[in-house]
Amino acid sequence: MSDDRDSSRLDGDGVLRQRPVYTESQVIMTTVKAVIPFVMTYGLYITFHGADTPGGGFQGGAIIASVFLMIAFAFGIESTRAWLSNTVVVGLGSAGVLAFAAIGFGPVVLGGNFLDYTAYYPVFGSVLGLKEYEFVKYGMEGVEILGIAFIVSGILMGLFFALAAGYSAEVEETVATSGDPRDGADSARLEEPND
Amino acid sequence: MDDGGGAPMISSLAPVVGTVDAAPVLQSVGITPIEIALFVFVLLTAIMTALFRDVLAGIVIFAAYSLGLALIYTFYRAPDVGLTEAAIGAGVTTVFLLLTIAKTTRPPTDRLFAPISWPAVAVCGGFALVVGSTLTAFPAVGDPMSPILQNSEVTGYYLANAYDETGVKNAVTAVLAAYRGFDTFGEAIVVFAAGVASLLVLNREVFTHE
Repeated sequence: MSDDRDSSRLDGDGVLRQRPVYTESQVIMTTVKAVIPFVMTYGLYITFHGADTPGGGFQGGAIIASVFLMIAFAFGIESTRAWLSNTVVVGLGSAGVLAFAAIGFGPVVLGGNFLDYTAYYPVFGSVLGLKEYEFVKYGMEGVEILGIAFIVSGILMGLFFALAAGYSAEVEETVATSGDPRDGADSARLEEPND
Repeated sequence: MDDGGGAPMISSLAPVVGTVDAAPVLQSVGITPIEIALFVFVLLTAIMTALFRDVLAGIVIFAAYSLGLALIYTFYRAPDVGLTEAAIGAGVTTVFLLLTIAKTTRPPTDRLFAPISWPAVAVCGGFALVVGSTLTAFPAVGDPMSPILQNSEVTGYYLANAYDETGVKNAVTAVLAAYRGFDTFGEAIVVFAAGVASLLVLNREVFTHE
């Protein structure tokens, strides 16, 4: 860490001044654009192929969420937050819980135990043309993909944007009032400590 | 578990399902250079995370520590745990910790290392000694005479029957989503509750915007 960089960013109170949270960088944006399809494919593979290879809904959901975290870092947290609707984030998490609960409590309704996938067989076996063990397999895939992956990807995205929101909103206010967004953000931060 | 990874698991299972006398004599290979390198890397990064004065440096080294742990898990045939450690420990946790720098101040650093707090060193050292004293009681990695393979009513049942009963090749998934599905349901609800709790703590109604 060089001295001139430190001294230039020290103010009177001896507090290290923060750079603005988003700096538009052609390198980062291009890199993220190139990497995203591969990371997304990898996350979906980990999720959908978790029954036969290492991985599953939890790991795959985290990788899928990290795609949106990368987008936020490359294109700005605030603009990504405006682009990503709250309905999508909450919908993913809630749909995951509902799907998991529905698959889990379905056998109870049919007279079996919680998550006892074989209880589906007498009712849907002839309709769907599946064998008894296939209900266990596809029930587990449903829990992993529709349940866990949805919950984890939705909640991780939500946590990130909820945590990032306070700072971004502050920048937004000061950008509106001052000509230089960088100085405005910094002075507002120092004069009014967050919460 | 793919076909290549499945073969060693079956061979290590042989002493369990067959008679113990007929089991082939397994020769310990000792500790390999890769393991030594990984352990040294994880120990060094853990100590450096504690010692570095600069918060950003600490977070970056902490991510390297998680990556080293993920490699160790993978090396010991636990790729599911390794994937989780890499995605959550090295990936998402690092991003969240970086966000905390953006939202708080980063104190100026003249020194490279933080001053060492000797009472903290005494507590951590004492804890490490107590935990380390149990190391000699552990069986060797993959030892067929270890208690987990000798008294394997539960784990042996999963390994022997998971494919026939559930139709999935990854026994870890079978345990998580079928045999121990109720626990997994609770864990998924905990993740959902964490999201709700964060909104409550932050006094917000939406994650992103309306």
